[in-house]
Amino acid sequence: MTSGASVLDDLTMGRAVELESLVDRRALGEMLDSARELFGVSLRIFNQKGQILADASQRPLLYAYLDEFKAGQAALSEVVNAIKGLEPEPDGDLAFECVTGARYWVSGISYDGHLLGRLILGPFRDPARAEVHTGVRSLDSGVDPERLARAYGELPALEPGAARRVARHLVNAIDLILFSGHKALLTSNMHLASVHESYRELSEKNAKLQQAFDRLKELDRLKSNFLATVSHELRTPLTSIIGYSEMLREGIAGELSNEQQEFVQTIHEKGEQLLGLIKGLLDLSKLESGTMSLRKAEIDVVPIVEDVANTLAPAARKKLVEIGVEAEPGLPSVWGDAERLRQVFLNLSENALKFTPTGGSVRLIVRPTMLERKSDDEGRGLVLFSSKRPAVEVRVADTGIGVPDAEKERVFDAFYQVDGSATREHEGTGLGLSIVRRLVDAHDGAVRVEDNAPQGAVFVVTLPCRRTTIA
Amino acid sequence: MQLDFAARELTVKLVYYGPALSGKTTNLQALHEAADPSITGRLMTLETRDDRTLFFDLLPFTFRDKGGLSVRLKVFTVPGQVIHASTRRLVLQGADGIAFIADSQVAETENNATAFMDLKQNLKTYGITLKQMPLVIQFNKRDLPAIRSDEEIASLAAQGREPVYLAVATRGEGVVESFIGLLHLTWSALDAEHDLNKKFGFDAVAFLHSVARRLGHDRPLSELLGTCVGGALEVLRPEAE
Repeated sequence: MTSGASVLDDLTMGRAVELESLVDRRALGEMLDSARELFGVSLRIFNQKGQILADASQRPLLYAYLDEFKAGQAALSEVVNAIKGLEPEPDGDLAFECVTGARYWVSGISYDGHLLGRLILGPFRDPARAEVHTGVRSLDSGVDPERLARAYGELPALEPGAARRVARHLVNAIDLILFSGHKALLTSNMHLASVHESYRELSEKNAKLQQAFDRLKELDRLKSNFLATVSHELRTPLTSIIGYSEMLREGIAGELSNEQQEFVQTIHEKGEQLLGLIKGLLDLSKLESGTMSLRKAEIDVVPIVEDVANTLAPAARKKLVEIGVEAEPGLPSVWGDAERLRQVFLNLSENALKFTPTGGSVRLIVRPTMLERKSDDEGRGLVLFSSKRPAVEVRVADTGIGVPDAEKERVFDAFYQVDGSATREHEGTGLGLSIVRRLVDAHDGAVRVEDNAPQGAVFVVTLPCRRTTIA
Repeated sequence: MQLDFAARELTVKLVYYGPALSGKTTNLQALHEAADPSITGRLMTLETRDDRTLFFDLLPFTFRDKGGLSVRLKVFTVPGQVIHASTRRLVLQGADGIAFIADSQVAETENNATAFMDLKQNLKTYGITLKQMPLVIQFNKRDLPAIRSDEEIASLAAQGREPVYLAVATRGEGVVESFIGLLHLTWSALDAEHDLNKKFGFDAVAFLHSVARRLGHDRPLSELLGTCVGGALEVLRPEAE
């Protein structure tokens, strides 16, 4: 599945790791140097391939002297080959005595039961043996026995037991280093492998989420199309129903009895209601698909708000709710589509009126304000503009039931009703506020809900004054 | 399992799985303590924070058979904490046998079950079903109050396929028994698949017995294997002990 797991297996399950992958060669050399200083004897470490990894040795005088003779050179190279050929068991030792009588000690360096290399200690002389091997003297007739004896005497003296202890001590220290090195290697590999594995898992999940997201987006697009088509197709026959019921009501097809008049009136009213709903749906789908075109111009908000208040005045009177407009003088004009803004204020005011009980009030307040520039604006050169821009705020304040804090964002979702139950007190399609939000967004403005003290809600629409699109 | 024919060396991977703080690392520590130093190396604990395993613990064993086959056991623990899911999956890969260490406390029942489902799921990503996997379950922490009763565990274990062991890992009780049970099941499964006993002239019973002895248990193998409740260990009943 992942390369990470195989790395773990390679490092823990398979064949032995290499000595040089677990230790730093230079540091190993430093360790041998200090050991040589302490014990006075040459030390070398070889890996399994016979390559030297660390060398703390000094050529002894004895060997330098023997090198002067051809037979001496041959004998010494034999010694080197013999030592190279020594293979101790893992954790085992071997003693070796060379042609001169000088001794070597070879200890296996192993890790996890596998031989990884060798530590070679020597040459040294056994203090119990005072003399150089007799055979060396006869190597060449020119060998000076006295010089030879002197050179042999200068080899470091080490009892065989001591040599074993020194070698064991060093091998144990190296073992600890190997263990730590292996642990560090495993840790870093595990870390990497874990990160890779987590990344793989996340990528897989991300891909699945992206798929689901794309599907949902496609469904949403289909829904909008469907909505647009259906509302258009519904509107055509509905227009006929309304038109004909209107003609009936006006007596064009003959005089109606009171009861008939009442029935036709109901057909007409419900037809208008249905038309309103369909128009709302159509607007929403147009806004969602971005096909609604706004005819923006420099407009004054106050007359629009006053017009909305006048339109609603009869309904308010009937419900015994007071409706009024408060506008500060000298307001700047805004950049917008008068017809669409009228729809915004009408929706909000109708809503306010609907939720305000008898004896309450709906107030439309228009005043200047500043609009904070959105920081997530993709436009460049943001710093060149002032962070705030003049705006006009229209506050629709009612004394109705108010909007709970948890619902303040959701009321702008399409079809959302605070009271979603079938037996709810207030009718409505749940489209009004979502249309408001989209229309205000299309004006580069903002809409939010606040609490009205002591009772009710305030819907605040903020519209920027000038055309200052940066992008 | 990794088999090096040339070196006559077999490496078997055993994994201790289970919920956080159920005693997986404690099991390994107890095994390490019980083991003759000649068969085990250092217990490697990889990166812990607040005494919690971050990656894994690794305890190596090496046994040399008279027939010349060298059997190496690598015993791993996984990190139990939920967030280390990816590490758990990595450690689990290539496991030859699993010891599931459960916490006996009643309050931990849910966590045991969750960890077990996690094991099942992780095995599935490697295309392995639990049915194919040699498995023992250990109920650890038998010394604590408010634990699931012996009777309850025994009656449930009797219905299950896997052997169940009771343990107090902090005192080393039941640890070797669980381990030998797991090794026995694992070896039987590997032998069934690769015919190891015949190929290498390997005496599995003698092997198990020598492992148990070097873990400080000189009881007859049948007695040691018989300490479990429920489950099937019959594959390799030691006739020739």
